[in-house]
Amino acid sequence: MLTDQLLKSGGRTDAGRKPLNSNSPWQVLVLIVALLIFAMSALPSLYGEHASLTLAKATGLKETEVSQTLNRAGIEVLAITPQKDALLVTLKDASRQMQARQLLAGQSLKADAITLSMTSAAPAWLQSVGASPIKLGLDLRGGVQFLMQVDLKPVFDAQGDSLRSAIREQARQQAQAKDQGIRNLILTKEPGLAQTKPEATRLVGTDEALGRIKVWLYANYPDWQIERRDTDWLLTLTDAARAELTRRTVHENLTIMRGRIEELGITEAIVQRHGENRILIELPGVQDPVAAKRVLGATASLSFHSLSDSGIQEPFENTHVGISRQSVLGGEHIIDARAGSDEMGLPAVNIVLDAEGGKRMSDFSRDNIGKPMATRYSEYIASERGSEKVSKVISVATINSQLGSRFSITGLGSHQEAQELAMLLRAGSMTAPVTIQKERTIGPSLGAENIRNGFAALALGLGATLVFMALWYRRLGWVANVALLANLTMLLGLIALIPGAVLTLPGIAGLVLTVGMAVDTNVLIFERIRDKMKEGRSMALAIERGFDSAFGTILDANLTTMITALVLYAIGNGPLQGFALTLGLGLVTSMVTGILLSRIIINWVYGKEQRKAVRI
Amino acid sequence: MKSVNLTKVRHLMSLFSVLLMLLCVALIGIRGFNLGLDFTGGAYAEVAMATDTQVNAIETALQSVAKGSLSVVETEPGRFVIRMGNQLDSAGLDNLKAALFKVDESMQLLDSDSVSSQVGEELYEQGGLAVLVAMLCIMGYLSLRFEWRLACGALLALVHDVVLVLGVFALTGMEFNLTVLAAVLAVLGYSLNDSIIIADRMRELLRAKPELKVTQINNDAVAQTFSRTMVTSGTTLMTVGALWLLGGDALEGFAIAMFVGIVTGTLSSISVGTVLPELLGIKPPSPEPVLADTP
Repeated sequence: MLTDQLLKSGGRTDAGRKPLNSNSPWQVLVLIVALLIFAMSALPSLYGEHASLTLAKATGLKETEVSQTLNRAGIEVLAITPQKDALLVTLKDASRQMQARQLLAGQSLKADAITLSMTSAAPAWLQSVGASPIKLGLDLRGGVQFLMQVDLKPVFDAQGDSLRSAIREQARQQAQAKDQGIRNLILTKEPGLAQTKPEATRLVGTDEALGRIKVWLYANYPDWQIERRDTDWLLTLTDAARAELTRRTVHENLTIMRGRIEELGITEAIVQRHGENRILIELPGVQDPVAAKRVLGATASLSFHSLSDSGIQEPFENTHVGISRQSVLGGEHIIDARAGSDEMGLPAVNIVLDAEGGKRMSDFSRDNIGKPMATRYSEYIASERGSEKVSKVISVATINSQLGSRFSITGLGSHQEAQELAMLLRAGSMTAPVTIQKERTIGPSLGAENIRNGFAALALGLGATLVFMALWYRRLGWVANVALLANLTMLLGLIALIPGAVLTLPGIAGLVLTVGMAVDTNVLIFERIRDKMKEGRSMALAIERGFDSAFGTILDANLTTMITALVLYAIGNGPLQGFALTLGLGLVTSMVTGILLSRIIINWVYGKEQRKAVRI
Repeated sequence: MKSVNLTKVRHLMSLFSVLLMLLCVALIGIRGFNLGLDFTGGAYAEVAMATDTQVNAIETALQSVAKGSLSVVETEPGRFVIRMGNQLDSAGLDNLKAALFKVDESMQLLDSDSVSSQVGEELYEQGGLAVLVAMLCIMGYLSLRFEWRLACGALLALVHDVVLVLGVFALTGMEFNLTVLAAVLAVLGYSLNDSIIIADRMRELLRAKPELKVTQINNDAVAQTFSRTMVTSGTTLMTVGALWLLGGDALEGFAIAMFVGIVTGTLSSISVGTVLPELLGIKPPSPEPVLADTP
């Protein structure tokens, strides 16, 4: 131990060794610069935000029209800023945001191209350096609410399709077994029930054939019920099966919505099933509400098909191409997707399949080397008659060698399209299309009084800690207080820098507590310094030894907590991740301010203090 | 530093801790938690009322209708979103309407339906897995840096604190929501920090004075870190106490969970955290590392 030797040599340092209690200038410089940067980043939060509207190009509205319309209604406009593909209209009074939207929607070519948003109210010079305010949670400031309708028709439709093809297959097998009884079955969709029970299937045939199919259906498809009508039979799903299918589909969509919100980097959102087949989503002030809306409502999926002239005809470039009805593989087997570029620099999506998907793909490609494979991109588009599935083939490539679980697809229009497709594939493709039914802003879920009380309590807690430290550790106490305030500033600055990080009232309480606990770093050091001084060392030497011996303790304690934070962040989701983030950041900043900053201050003020009986 | 005989105190405290822990496990098993809206879901209603209606007025009017927790949010002047813990059947809906008519006769019910829980089922699985992995990682790190017996002590203290906080919530039937969950996670970090600081002192003393009895070393470690323990616990308790007193409903659960957690965290780091390594037979390290440390 270095300090033991120092003690023996009477506190004199050997020539060439670093002098006692000094910091290298670059350390001081780096710390000051870091503090300034974080303080600047934390600053815009003091100014708050303005309510605003984002008008996409599709609205067809011009700046002058917008300002005239709003002026006529007496809604004050702070600014109208042209953006890349949109107009950003900043309003003075947040409570008139909905009214402004309604007014503008009446003139817009496309009503849903107007999105509610928030813009920083900080002065332009702060915004120009890229500083943005900390985003506050649903409880403190409210946010945007979307009500989404899950369209279950395609799901039931698909059930009907798969039942019909199963019956046809069964009939074919029995016919091959020279069984005459099952011939001449006619299977069709029941058009009369297309709206209420889209899976309903009409079955016409001889009594013998129907009897056989009935027995087979009872054995293999217990979810279906058979109803005998005048000239035909009707197959529908049982009520229990319908309810279960609905529940499962909405639940799957709910999970995917959560995944997408996570992919967007938004924390502290609310996603709830609402009634039978709707989903309620509440997002705190998101950075790019237009993108959030597009991504949440997106239904894009991919599937891979072999070419077949007798299959379905899908558009491909300027022509049509026939692909097999049954896909080799659907989007549900994709576990990872990243946007990238192919050798020509064109947008591509690199895909990783799960074990089953990988096996299917490698079997298929092994048997079909030299033959083409088509990639089909489909999405649901809202129309008057509900959602319609629109598909196109985006690429047809020849299989050159056996494929594994990793490959890439090309044929996408732009890099942005590739980015979004990759994101959607990562979060999982919707099992049923969704449409946004309602979109509106919501106020904070905590009342104004609650919020005021909360902040008063935090101020009191912080103040009491500051006063206690100043009284208890006297000279060193104010150093700890400076470190504590610097810590809070750095932490707020860091959180403002992280896109998607959102502060709720409990989050802020946790933050103040993290800061309160960060005092521990200084307490540990000061207690060691006191011990060393009791042992009769001079203050300068006690400082040197105190910091030295406390460092190991602080490092171990913080590293262990850091492990917890990292694991919670890596494995946990939603609220766990948000907590882990602030905890981890708090640990880093408390190490920097508690050890480095307070050392610099103490060195500067007391570093050369050779007296022994200093009371601290 | 003079030695203090704390052995008896520590052992009695440990016994007390273990008994409390068992009691809390039983309480959690028998009474369960009063889970909040975040976890259970419930009913959702949307109403249009006069534009000067206050959120407070609606909340007061609905106190008798809503059985579980209640949340009223204003979406725009005169439009409110109401969430409550109980499901609404037709009778419940009538009660809701009647209560709201008392506030404003022109009230219109725009939408009402059930809502699911806010957190997905994956929170339980992933959350449970995360906590388990975190514990294993902590165990690994502490075994490497300290000793596996000290690691066991810190981990048991951690489990002790979390169980006690949960036990208090099971006993009092206070609402357990996402905010309280955040507090429980914070207690996790706090408890760990506390135990490690004492464990670190034990490690230091074990190396410095291998000739002393282990109980003596533990007593010294507790006594030498006592002033730090009191200052840190004191300042955090002050902050949490302020939240409890002034924070209002929004922070009450959080503050109570933290308060209990900090008190038990302080106790357990002294009791369980030091006694378990003793019982497991912790010994001073073999002389090599000590030699390597002093050139």
